[in-house]
Amino acid sequence: MNQPADELARRIVEQLDAGVDQMDPATRERLVIARERALGRYRERPAPVLGMAWAGNAIARVSAHRFYSARNLIAVTALVLGLAGLAIWNSFGPSNELADIDAGLLTDELPINAYLDKGFDSWLKRAPR
Amino acid sequence: MRRPARDGAGDRSDGACAAAGIQKAGRLATYQELAHFLAKVERRAYKQAVFAVRDDHLALDIVQDAMLKLTEKYCARPVDELPLLFQRILQNTILDFYRRQKVRSTWTQAISSLLGKGSDEDADPLETLEVAEGSKLSGSLSGSPAEQAEQSQLIAFIEKALEKLPARQRQAFLLRYWEELDVAEAAKIMGCSVGSVKTHCSRATHALSVMLGKQGIKP
Repeated sequence: MNQPADELARRIVEQLDAGVDQMDPATRERLVIARERALGRYRERPAPVLGMAWAGNAIARVSAHRFYSARNLIAVTALVLGLAGLAIWNSFGPSNELADIDAGLLTDELPINAYLDKGFDSWLKRAPR
Repeated sequence: MRRPARDGAGDRSDGACAAAGIQKAGRLATYQELAHFLAKVERRAYKQAVFAVRDDHLALDIVQDAMLKLTEKYCARPVDELPLLFQRILQNTILDFYRRQKVRSTWTQAISSLLGKGSDEDADPLETLEVAEGSKLSGSLSGSPAEQAEQSQLIAFIEKALEKLPARQRQAFLLRYWEELDVAEAAKIMGCSVGSVKTHCSRATHALSVMLGKQGIKP
């Protein structure tokens, strides 16, 4: 152990302690208020914190009790169902049929449904050559 | 005068268990014990926060947040684990402040560069403090008003010097010497190796010695 360094540290700490003792009354008062506010949240049995006990522990944060509450579970389920419905609508909806006809027109391979459409037939007759 | 030993500190083996996150079947803290513990540590915690963030109001917010977290989440922990838990929470809260400040500075950097820096930002606060030639670090508050004023100045100088230290060095120094944690406990709180804590402490002490020496204060 480095004795001179430890001795210097000890003397510095003495001055720091003296500085704490000299702290102005207004700051002391604010600290007392802050402490009382914190102690106001004291409960005999706080919510269990899973994982390691240290603050800032990621596991503890993620596994907080509220994460598993029923309300959040319902919201997440609704979101997943909504997204699934949207995906199905996009795959089998009417927009897909229109896209097929457009593609047929562009490639000159019209599906039979296009020729059965009377509107399309009249459009062909009226279209200028 | 040396501060009396910490009541809730317990022996070193207990502290090491807490540092390792081991669930220990100790006696849980009562309301009175928690209140006593917070009353004992709040001023030093506040000073630590002031050294770190250099703002009284922010420091008070940090200490209050740390006390709230301890009370809300960890009050049912054994009494002898409270000192280390609180230090861990306090250091993390200070770290959160640094992170928020970093994000803020990213957004405001362009504006600051346009406005330019104030001319007084480069001033060294240590140079504004006058410490009498030949004054010593050791001493007490008792004495004449002149001696008390001199010591107040010395305390202010040391506090400014601590603020000037790099964050990790200051953190290691305060945890190791002011909070009287052993190297392993400090390393656990700082999230680094024991060797790093020793290095930070050594550099901090050396830097403080140099700063004090420049002002004619004999270490």
